[in-house]
Amino acid sequence: MIDIWNTIILQPMLNGLIALSELLDKDFGLAIIILTIAVRIVLLPLTFKQTQSTKAMQSLQPKLQELQKKYARNQQKLQQEMMKLYKEAGINPLGCMWPLIIQFPIWIALYQSIIQALAATPENLLSLAQNLYAWDLVGQAIPLNENFLGLKLSQPDPTMILAILVGVTMWVQQKMVTPPATDPRQQQMSSMTTLMMPMMFAFFTLSFPSGLALYWVVSNIIGIIIQYFVGGGWGYFKFPSLRPQPQAPAGQQDTKALKEGTNKK
Amino acid sequence: MIRMKNFIKPILVLTVLLMTFIVSCADQAGGGSCSGTAAQGWSGFTAYKQVLCFGSMEGKVIAFDPSARTDNKTFPAENEWLYVIKAATPGSTCGAMCAPSSSTSSMGIYSTPVAAGDLVYVGTYTGKIYALNANRGVVRWVYPREGSETVGAIVGSIITDGQTIYFGSSNSKLYALDAPTGDLKWEYQTSNKIWTTPAISDGIIYAGNYGGNVYALSTESGKVLWELKIPSAVASPIEVSGDAVYFGTFDRNLYALEKMTGKEKWKFVGGNWFWAEPIVREGTIYAACLDKNLYAIDAGTGTELWKFSADSPIVSTPVLSDKHLFAICDKGILYKLDAATGNMISSIPLGYTVNSPLYAEGEIVYAYARDHNVYAVDTAKGVVSWTFSSKIK
Repeated sequence: MIDIWNTIILQPMLNGLIALSELLDKDFGLAIIILTIAVRIVLLPLTFKQTQSTKAMQSLQPKLQELQKKYARNQQKLQQEMMKLYKEAGINPLGCMWPLIIQFPIWIALYQSIIQALAATPENLLSLAQNLYAWDLVGQAIPLNENFLGLKLSQPDPTMILAILVGVTMWVQQKMVTPPATDPRQQQMSSMTTLMMPMMFAFFTLSFPSGLALYWVVSNIIGIIIQYFVGGGWGYFKFPSLRPQPQAPAGQQDTKALKEGTNKK
Repeated sequence: MIRMKNFIKPILVLTVLLMTFIVSCADQAGGGSCSGTAAQGWSGFTAYKQVLCFGSMEGKVIAFDPSARTDNKTFPAENEWLYVIKAATPGSTCGAMCAPSSSTSSMGIYSTPVAAGDLVYVGTYTGKIYALNANRGVVRWVYPREGSETVGAIVGSIITDGQTIYFGSSNSKLYALDAPTGDLKWEYQTSNKIWTTPAISDGIIYAGNYGGNVYALSTESGKVLWELKIPSAVASPIEVSGDAVYFGTFDRNLYALEKMTGKEKWKFVGGNWFWAEPIVREGTIYAACLDKNLYAIDAGTGTELWKFSADSPIVSTPVLSDKHLFAICDKGILYKLDAATGNMISSIPLGYTVNSPLYAEGEIVYAYARDHNVYAVDTAKGVVSWTFSSKIK
């Protein structure tokens, strides 16, 4: 199983990254950024699908809330009606998660690649030998330069700047697609979830190599850009303002999906 | 359902990241960290008087008497000692994650100790050089002198001409220290870190670094006599024999350079890195490769004389006795070969990975394995005579 993983996923990524860094004047950080962009481009169709799926799910929220109220005491019926609603709207409730799921093996392979390629210890360097292709480009690149913009890519960032960047970019990305709930309890839960994920990743950034955190930051920024253009602006994300916001205009954008849902009623 | 939907994503992410942690952080043989395998070390042995001295994976310098171990005497017997290297300040050597996690823990030693006069010298991954009394294991001097100051992780071994000790370090410098006192004679800043052992011959020190540079410097003054830029970094310790300098590189070549000029004589391509130190005797180079082969190469022409295929990559530097060549693969199988033909005479499985250089006294071969044991193998009988754990206190 490990051999299959190494042959199919780890080795191509590892050798690709190393060869890329050699082509980029031994800049491994830049190689990670280019790989991130490539991964996001490959996943673009799925990302579009996820965005559309998320939007469609949002538009169904008022109807779902109605169903919850209506069948509050009959969970089985509620489930049936919800599935029926999803089916009628042509939505797979888990469809929005595919890009995330597909990225998991990439994260793992990238993490392993960074650890192996940058070889923080002599043992790491030694174990690298068994996963390298016999390419001159790869042999000439070893050992890699782990310095990038003041970071040591094989080590966690001691300044916490990367952790903050990972957390903030992920939070912004999530806020763009998370509609405000009408129910205060749901709103509280939604806010907690939106906050939990970025905090969790920020926490992981403190322990993982900076190279992986670099991948997360760049990936999040690309995600925000895609969401901005595909989803139409900043979505549900509101920039903090010092001036008090007039109620009506602010609410117009935020409750766009809800209104759509209400109108359909 | 809405609540479930809210929680599926984070739970899934958390699960997979935890899996990543478990697979990538914890499943490292011999203990790892989130930045990779922990630095365990792979020091070889040096012999002086009747003892063998090596650096352990627990950060100790141990001198043991093979005859006392054969008699199964309690350690330390007469002439035996151990010295515990002080742990580094976290982050002082190679980053926060590969430095000791507590003040009581130590790091493995990569550098094979070297003896000269009444002192034994060892370089540590924590970035210090220790000169210990060869008879008692008491510190004579430490370099750098200040407690917190280091020269960066030392991975290669120290070499000496009796009066001076020389070593390269992760801070990219090559150092020459006065052997009796530890005073700095000279230092030379190279372009990249030096993780391999230099070599000296006829007043010249030869060193390679990870920037793909090979240097020849005067041992007296540290003045550069010649410098050569090669396409790849130097992967193996350097060996000097006759009129040539030999070393392996990360682009899978074994190089032979003219030692006075640095001009390339020939290069031999292997199937992977030549990681172990090439050993030379009577015009033949014995070069272990990570492609599982041990090559015998004509030192003059670079042509292959024979090769022996092991069961797994050969990390450890082989050793020669009168007629035999001993090599061990990283699966822990020790091979006894006819040095002239490469024919295998016998093989003895130790069962544990060995990355440290082998040492031989006649037909007894000593190997320090990853299970923290020194194995004394009687290759004439094909048995392990005794083992000695470096975890001893």
